[in-house]
Amino acid sequence: MPRPDRRSLLLALLAAATGPARAQAFDLPALMQRLARRKAGEARFTEERIVSGFDSPLTASGVLSFAAPDRFARHTLQPVKESMEVQGRTLLLRRGGRTRQMEMDALPEVGALLEAMRATLTGDLALLRKHFATELSGDEGRWILRLKPLDERLARQLLQIELVGQAADVRSIAMQLTGGDRSLMLLEPLGPLGPSGTAATPR
Amino acid sequence: MTAPAPRRALPLLLWLALALLAVWQITRTSFNADLGAFMPAAPDARQRLLIEQIHSGAPARTLLMGIEGGSAAARAQASRELAAALRASGLFDQVHNGDQAGFADFGPWLLEHRYLLSPAVTPQRFTPDGLREAIAEATSLLGTPAGQAIKPLLDRDPSGETQRIAESLIPARAPRMEAGVWVGRQQPRALLMATLHAAGADIDAQAAALAAVHQAFAPMAARGLVLQVSGAPVFAVDSRARIEGEVHRLAIAGALVVGTLLLLTFASLPAMAVAALPVASGVLGGIVAVSLGFGSVHGMTLGFGTTLIGESVDYAIYYLIQSRRDAQGGGGWQAWVRHSWPTVRLGLWTSVCGFAALLFSGFPGLAQLGVFSVAGLVTAALTTRWVLPALMPDGARGSGLNRHLGQAARAAITRLPRLRPLVLGLGAAALLLLWQRGDLWHADLASLSPVPRAALALDEQLRADLTASDGGTLVVVQGPDVETTLQRAEAAATRLETLVDSGRIGGFDSATRFVPSLATQRQRLAALPDGAALQSALHQATQGGPLPAARLAPFVADVERARQAQPLTPATLQGSPAAPLVAALLLRRPDGSASALLPVQPSGPASGGAVDTAAVAAALQGLPDAQVLDIGLELRTLYSRYLQEAQWQALLGAAGVVVLMALWLRSGRRLLAVVQPLALAVLLSIGVLAAFGVPLGILHLVGLLLVVAVGSNYALFFDMLRQGHGPGAPRSGRTRPAPRGGSSPVAAPHGLDSDDTLASLLLANLTTVASFGILALSGIPVLAAIGQVVALGALLALLLSACFAAPPPAAPAAMTENRAL
Repeated sequence: MPRPDRRSLLLALLAAATGPARAQAFDLPALMQRLARRKAGEARFTEERIVSGFDSPLTASGVLSFAAPDRFARHTLQPVKESMEVQGRTLLLRRGGRTRQMEMDALPEVGALLEAMRATLTGDLALLRKHFATELSGDEGRWILRLKPLDERLARQLLQIELVGQAADVRSIAMQLTGGDRSLMLLEPLGPLGPSGTAATPR
Repeated sequence: MTAPAPRRALPLLLWLALALLAVWQITRTSFNADLGAFMPAAPDARQRLLIEQIHSGAPARTLLMGIEGGSAAARAQASRELAAALRASGLFDQVHNGDQAGFADFGPWLLEHRYLLSPAVTPQRFTPDGLREAIAEATSLLGTPAGQAIKPLLDRDPSGETQRIAESLIPARAPRMEAGVWVGRQQPRALLMATLHAAGADIDAQAAALAAVHQAFAPMAARGLVLQVSGAPVFAVDSRARIEGEVHRLAIAGALVVGTLLLLTFASLPAMAVAALPVASGVLGGIVAVSLGFGSVHGMTLGFGTTLIGESVDYAIYYLIQSRRDAQGGGGWQAWVRHSWPTVRLGLWTSVCGFAALLFSGFPGLAQLGVFSVAGLVTAALTTRWVLPALMPDGARGSGLNRHLGQAARAAITRLPRLRPLVLGLGAAALLLLWQRGDLWHADLASLSPVPRAALALDEQLRADLTASDGGTLVVVQGPDVETTLQRAEAAATRLETLVDSGRIGGFDSATRFVPSLATQRQRLAALPDGAALQSALHQATQGGPLPAARLAPFVADVERARQAQPLTPATLQGSPAAPLVAALLLRRPDGSASALLPVQPSGPASGGAVDTAAVAAALQGLPDAQVLDIGLELRTLYSRYLQEAQWQALLGAAGVVVLMALWLRSGRRLLAVVQPLALAVLLSIGVLAAFGVPLGILHLVGLLLVVAVGSNYALFFDMLRQGHGPGAPRSGRTRPAPRGGSSPVAAPHGLDSDDTLASLLLANLTTVASFGILALSGIPVLAAIGQVVALGALLALLLSACFAAPPPAAPAAMTENRAL
């Protein structure tokens, strides 16, 4: 059964993205501070999910967007249009012309992944540490942030989330489930970059 | 010369027989404490729904629980254990703690009936395009933690109908989840919610269920965890216990204080015992009258009953002091019956008149208070008139303090009239104050509730954490039968769905998610294709997709089975895991008609947690049988109507009192002298409460009626004193006192000297103020309210009556001053 190797994908991505690293204090608070400086951003994503029992990977693509302090949205365009919008702890789910409102912390299975993305993108260290044990490696030019769920129930399903980034850009989000299923989301920034970037606000 | 002995045997025997009958009746009487008694008796359709909800709706049967202490893991563990124990007890329709285990049999039920329940089941759904889209949507969460539960179902349900139903059941507002159970957002605690099986009005069953909860928690309590329980059933059970306990406590304290006062006054135990007779008889009479008239007695009526001690003991005091024989052998019970009884009787009539206004209240609780008061006062007065003379024909012999009381009263009375300008000034100030503060009467329905503040605070916290609003907003749909009601509910749900899409509301619940109308279910059944058609559509739909058609044989088989299924009805739902959910959202009445309740949840935090009722009402335009019910608002409206009604009745009662006295006194001047102090006493009492910022409610109003009732006795006695006792010729007790306003003030004949009358008034007032003062200290807000008003008002009524009366006959010079009024 041919399985695309997530690692090789990542390495290829990183090789393309990284320049020579600068040796300076690089830790999670510093990284988060840097991420927090960007108040909004938008990126196109392509996602591949490898699920046992399925011959081919499930694919999806669309746009991710965020705006400080607490907005985050994932608009899927392919294969079906659907969206998840988060503001505060309210999650708005739109699929097939229907809208559902729910509370993220009431649904850890959905909420945790969204919180991981939102907290990283907005540079909210406290929020991140509330839900995950964190482990940062690499340097500013190429960093890897590993998140392991603190909630014991969630940990039974979700092994870890791995975010790979370059400077203030998150480039990929990989998720590994306990049953062997996993997914990889590659991000391609759309919004203007830079510390004071007034990126296109999500609609 | 001795007065003829009263016929002793007959009244005593009669009294004894009646008392026994009363006790027998009381043993058969049930006592309740639910707030429903303070809801209108003959409601309109809307109010009937509201009352139905309050009596038996899910909120009335829901317990909110919090587990505190220990570690998060220990709390989560305790939450699971407690939930399991409660589910096993059979006392609860639903037990929720967030744990999926609670829904263990609900998932399979949904899966089995998914083609009847999923709104996505249409003919289009089973075309190749429809299936392709459905599969793409159903697989969109795979590879995430949320997809784990979906994966095992895919072969049977590739179009994701189960997901679709589950998605519609996710509430917009829900408690936070940690370690698989609900936890507080504000406090570190695990949360549970349980709906009792017992009806909202069945307090005994509720008490049993509560005991079961605490018993189930005992092993966890032993591990150092603390259980908090709140919710309507807790309030109902606690209130009953509190009212019972408080009534006992107050009755004992009141009896002790009043007894001590009587003992000091008469220095005689028999006199004290006799003085208690009218009180006891009055309470018995009141309970029996209410029990006969209403079938049961509300706890609050009983609490109020203890306050009757205050007025009915007065009758005994008047009799015992005023019927004493003087040195010349004057006085005695006959003299009392001649001279004082007409005044006491008039006082009784005025009191009855005041309370009779309440009899016509549309609210059973208020009418109960009226019946209790009227029956209690009449019984107490009759006992005083007929039984006391048989027991103590010459009044109380002892003379403890009452000489001094009389002298003190006389001394005070000569000075009090000087205060008139001051009192009038205060009255004007009170008027001004009341004028300025327009909204005095702003105590709400909750002020009738005997629930202490701390309990309400805990309730609020747990509700916030559980996102279970107290009142909440409901859309109510009615129909002549279940099927029509369900169809109308579906129509209303479609409208509400547009509000969810536009974000005006967060979401809503509906019974039609578990039992759609037969029409809808038949449409869905008709949309299911036969095996061959489905096979071919599936073949096209899965081409090039991740899910091969070969895997989906279970799906084809399930659809085939569903085509043969019978539609669900509320009746066939019995015993299924959905039954309690439907029972809470679909009320079926014995006449076959039904109401569907669609609780609406507010939109995100921006809404401030309130539902935009106007938007909901607008969305329902054109659906005549659907209406929005904002329970909190409806209750407030109901209460303000209730208060308004009671205010009119009180005014009517007061007017009746004035008319009665006018007819009796037949003199505008005397009437003014009697009414003026009463009106001022009421005015100043309200003024004092307003000055302290006490929000006034219905019970204050009842208290003011009582002030008029008690105070009118004082004012009339002063009038009697001022008139002397007529020209001295003995008159029959039946003749009314001649309306001889300007008759010469002569010393009281027959030994009924005014010192005795004054002493009896002062003592009566002391006992009233003492017994209501004790009530004012009650922990139950409603009783405290009455206590505050009446203790203050009665004291003022006596002082002002004295203040506006002329000094007693011994000081005739002051009469001119009185005329000047």
